[in-house]
Amino acid sequence: MALEVSYDVIQVTLLSLYVSGCATILGSAIGIPLGALIGLKEFGGKGLLKTITYTMYGFPPVVSGLAIYYLFSRAGPLGSFGILFTPTAMILAETLLVIPLTTGITIASVAEVDRSVKETVKSLGTTPRQSVLTVMREAWVGLVMAAMIGFGRCIAEVGAAYMVGGNIKGETRVLTTVIMLETRQGHFDYALGLGLVLIVVAMAVFFFLRLLQEKELL
Amino acid sequence: MSNAIALKEITKRYKDVTALRSVSLTASKGEVFGLLGPSGSGKSTLLRIIDLLETPDSGEVQINGETVHSDSKDAFQTRRRIGMILQKPMVLNRSVENNLAYALLIRGWSEEEIHKRVDRELKRLGLEERRMKNARTLSGGEMQRLCFARSTIFDPALLILDEFTANLDPANVALLEDMVRGYASENEDRAVIVVTHNLFQAKRMCHRMALMWDGEIVEVADKKRFFEAPEDERTAAFVSGELVY
Amino acid sequence: MKQSQMVVVAVAVVAILAVSAAAAFVLTNEEPKKLRMATTTSTQDSGLLDYILPTFESKYNCKVDVIAVGSGQALEMGKRGDVDVLMVHSPAAEQIFVDGGHGTNRTQIMYNWFVIVGPDNDPAGTRNATSAKDAFQRIYDNGTAGHAKFVSRSDGSGTYAKELSIWSSIGYNNTTVAAFSNDWYKQPGRGMGEVLDMCEDMNAYTLSDDATYYSRVDVALIPHLNITKQGDSALKNQYSVILVNSTTWHHINKTLAKDFLDWISSNAGQDLIKSYVKYGHQLFTPNAPGYASATAITGFVDIGRFEDVTAGTSGVPDAKLMAKDMRAVAPRGEAMDGA
Repeated sequence: MALEVSYDVIQVTLLSLYVSGCATILGSAIGIPLGALIGLKEFGGKGLLKTITYTMYGFPPVVSGLAIYYLFSRAGPLGSFGILFTPTAMILAETLLVIPLTTGITIASVAEVDRSVKETVKSLGTTPRQSVLTVMREAWVGLVMAAMIGFGRCIAEVGAAYMVGGNIKGETRVLTTVIMLETRQGHFDYALGLGLVLIVVAMAVFFFLRLLQEKELL
Repeated sequence: MSNAIALKEITKRYKDVTALRSVSLTASKGEVFGLLGPSGSGKSTLLRIIDLLETPDSGEVQINGETVHSDSKDAFQTRRRIGMILQKPMVLNRSVENNLAYALLIRGWSEEEIHKRVDRELKRLGLEERRMKNARTLSGGEMQRLCFARSTIFDPALLILDEFTANLDPANVALLEDMVRGYASENEDRAVIVVTHNLFQAKRMCHRMALMWDGEIVEVADKKRFFEAPEDERTAAFVSGELVY
Repeated sequence: MKQSQMVVVAVAVVAILAVSAAAAFVLTNEEPKKLRMATTTSTQDSGLLDYILPTFESKYNCKVDVIAVGSGQALEMGKRGDVDVLMVHSPAAEQIFVDGGHGTNRTQIMYNWFVIVGPDNDPAGTRNATSAKDAFQRIYDNGTAGHAKFVSRSDGSGTYAKELSIWSSIGYNNTTVAAFSNDWYKQPGRGMGEVLDMCEDMNAYTLSDDATYYSRVDVALIPHLNITKQGDSALKNQYSVILVNSTTWHHINKTLAKDFLDWISSNAGQDLIKSYVKYGHQLFTPNAPGYASATAITGFVDIGRFEDVTAGTSGVPDAKLMAKDMRAVAPRGEAMDGA
């Protein structure tokens, strides 16, 4: 019985990593460039867009789950893809939650880059695109932070993950949803143990991200 | 001798302050032109307009006889022919080598070409052993020399300097001035505009100079006349060190 | 220089993700056919499905994906065609579901019991109640008088539906704020386990399904709560299987769903349900139409562990052991305690 349990735990942990990793990467790939553009370009409505982005930090995860559920339910517009109750749906729901975070933190990070850096770079003859890329590289520490916070959001997510994933044994169970299941059944010690596993796994990821962040991109 | 740069009646206002009032000037190829005056006279603003970092409210900028606009989408092409060095050294958070290479990378030069140029500059700067170090670990003087090198590595026809030695000790001032002199004399099509409040520097470096005062050009003259027989009384006061700056 | 380092990092990350994904999926047994079933959390937590489904899965070479949510949500999922089959226990809501054309072949398959659970000292005197209705009346009288408390599920669950039906059968509407005030009638809107924990904490009564009660006892979380009333026919918790409408939803695996229904109502399936014992109890009584309980199991299946737990933690060891013995003696499938 103990052996069976740890076999499951490995699978659940790997799925947690997979779902959270994909959502973080997707959310960063969308949010970081978006944040750089919003942060560096001048346009009408920029202030409003920033406020909306920051407001979404507080977007309730259960609503994200519900939105994805409605979209991909058989009765919904994208039901025929059959994504509901698969890890893909979980990734999508978590990506929605990550995007405001990565966007917002990137906006602040690029704004923080010294104005004279931006002007120097421009005076050296960059195209607008080259300017943005260089400023982003100068803001590297902040950008990795954005990804870190995105990952933290994902690995801790339970409500949306349960709703669109269904917590199906062997298919869509991640550490957080299993913790919820075990807690519901009163197996508090086991749930705490899984919580510890989650923290250890997260620590490994953050260690790697921290190395990435401190790496001098010389 | 054709004009490397010509400014025609440039006016610039910020809210209720008029920084530049209908300023016109020209600088020829092969010339080192000085722009003097007290702080707040509009010298830096004028430089920024030349480098297309600001848009004048009225007036025209011509580089090499061609009118250019800072809000056109090809403005960056014009900036690629101009090298600018500011008072405070501003290097990117990268190695010395990569700072030097940056301007060439964005122009799409080949790796080989870039390598050649960068090696040449590193040798000139005496920073070969420290090529992989983060540029921000250099001393003030070294950093400014690096800034000079990275802003001239792409052979700009026009070099503009804004109080470029104001923060440096005399030894480094001399080094930087030598670098500018060397750059100008290498190619007779190059022009240099030096903004400075240091009379002695102006005397050492410039062929012709102008005095700016409260957003206007007060006098333009070659060095000898500017210092020995200025026409305007403000010029006379400035060269004798009386104008407060 | 820096470009290639970034590429190495990116490749490493993608590789790790790919390996995790592959490993996660390889460790899953990908079965050719899948049946998606929505059921309630209490059903899943009872462990019955983990016990009976492997037999079905190997017989029909398929995998059953069980999604455990609240009753209301399960029915809603059925309406939206997100699952193939439902196993729920909320008869009134089920009837509405079927009448609305959302499901077919509604078949009862088994039942278990609700029990009234209360504190050691039984302030409302429910142990002496003559029926479930009487017990509830006593709780109400004592509650409004300030001697007792009740914690309600107050969510869309089958248990809550049962609780409401008992209140209304004695003429009460639990939404009347004055009568059912927060002082004694608590409405947390939570799952059964959590509600039992709250009762332990507050010395309150509640209506619970027996399986969750036993499981809570098993992990020693509710040492001061006991079953005070059980076996009344009003406390019967009927489970049914409903097939989601395959005409509306073409993608439904209707063959496999029908196979499941046929199997679980067959003698083989029903016997299997009957043989499921946990916490020293047969938790479910199979009652599919036409099921003959000729092969009724008598005698007690001792799983040892439960006995240890009850002996140590039960506030009323005698009552519990007696209940166990009674079940041991009575033939399965028959109503108990004057139902």
